[in-house]
Formats: sequence, structure tokens, C-alpha cells
Amino acid sequence: MSFEEFQNCARMFVVGALEPDEAAEFEAARREFGEKAEAYIAECYSLSEAFALSLKPAKASDQVKTRLMEMVRKRQAH
Amino acid sequence: MQGIQWEDPEALSQLYDRYSGIIKALILRVVHNEAEADDLLQEIFMEIWNQAKNFSAQKGKPLGWMVTLARRRAIDKLRKKQAYTRAEERLQREIEQQPEAWVHNSTEEEILDGDRRILIRRVIEMLPPPQQQAIELAFFRGMSQREIAANTNTPLGTVKTRLELGLKKIYDGLKELRDEL
Repeated sequence: MSFEEFQNCARMFVVGALEPDEAAEFEAARREFGEKAEAYIAECYSLSEAFALSLKPAKASDQVKTRLMEMVRKRQAH
Repeated sequence: MQGIQWEDPEALSQLYDRYSGIIKALILRVVHNEAEADDLLQEIFMEIWNQAKNFSAQKGKPLGWMVTLARRRAIDKLRKKQAYTRAEERLQREIEQQPEAWVHNSTEEEILDGDRRILIRRVIEMLPPPQQQAIELAFFRGMSQREIAANTNTPLGTVKTRLELGLKKIYDGLKELRDEL
């Protein structure tokens, strides 16, 4: 796989769109390209960030944060 | 993220205040149920707290990591639900009735709300509707290329091409926008 093909796959990978056989080839190329591959994948996460940021934020129930912080503090106390 | 890695609850509280709206919007887009989205939001932030040690800034920004985690959990939830089949049927009807859901979800109110969102949406909306639809189904519905092909009556190779071209255009568009975002 060329690096250009790897870049195509990396963009598909971060949005979860690789088929299983493509994922196996992608992982092999990822090992082969090493740090260069990891740096490109890190950049590709801007895609999933952008898809989330393209949505209008939704208000969560106030109880969610209260429950979450209670759970965290309880866990810390143990 | 560093504060959370050091197990400081105040850091989690700040992260929650900053990103819960975005993460909940993402979850809602996948599960389409307010109560389930709130439950999942709590579980996801708990997982962020528990998994923070695995986060590495070298592998990307915190938001990318959280979005990936949240999306995966929301899609798992969707798949586990016994109503998944019914959701698929609903989706099929949505596709037939409104093939460009992502495009049409943009209302005037949304356009006025948030410069960053407007810029990102502008990049996404530059894509031809079939490319937007393929990306929407892969990202927000967790569909494989084969599932997208089956659900949209499109050849598998065409789905793959639409995803590749669409993602490349968005990636390049975001790169150009980097200074403005």
C-alpha cells in the first residue's frame, strides 16, 4: 500500500468506515509506516471532531452531572 | 486532560461543562432518545475518567479521543437495543423520504448559532448529497460500507468511492479552515 492509499484508509478508519479486510491491510501498513502513519492518523481525528462540532450542542439534564460527580467522589473515597 | 489523569474531580467537572453539549448532541444523533442519551453521557464521562490514563496528546486532541469513545459507545448501545431492527426500518423510511438528512437539518437558527459550526457545516455542505449521506450513515449510524450499499441500493464500489472522496474533501477543507477555527 502506498502512503497515499494509507492516507485514504486512515480517513476511513477514524470514522469507522473500513471493512474488516481493509482494516487488516490498514493495520499492516500502519506498522510499516510507523511514526509517519501515527502522525497522520492523529491529524485525521480532526474529521470526527468536526462531525461532532457540526451538530448543535444538546443540553444535558442537570442530574447527569450531579450523579457523575457523586460517582467520581465515591470512587475516590474508596 | 492532565488534571483528570491526576484524578482531580474539578478537572472532570470543567471538561464536562465544556464538552457535554457536544458529546450529548453526538449521542442523540445516534440513539435518538433523550433519556438514553443522558444515561450514556454519564457513562461516557465516567469512562473518560477511568480511561484518561490511556489518553496520549501525541495521538490527537482530547475532543477527538472523546468523540471516538462516545461514538463507539452510542453505536454499541444502538446495536444492542432490541429495537435496532425497527430503527433500521425507520432509517430506511428516512432515507427514502429525505435522502439528504444532514443537509436539511441545517436550520436558520442553527446557521446563526456559532461561527465554528457554521464554518464546519459549510465544508460538509459543499459535498454532493450522496457523499454526505454515505458519511452520515457511516459515522452517525455506524454502518459498514456493505450496510450503506444495501440500505441505499448503491453498488459497494460506489459507496467506497463516495466515502473516500467525501472524507478527503472535508479533510482538505478543514485544513484550509484551521486558522479560522
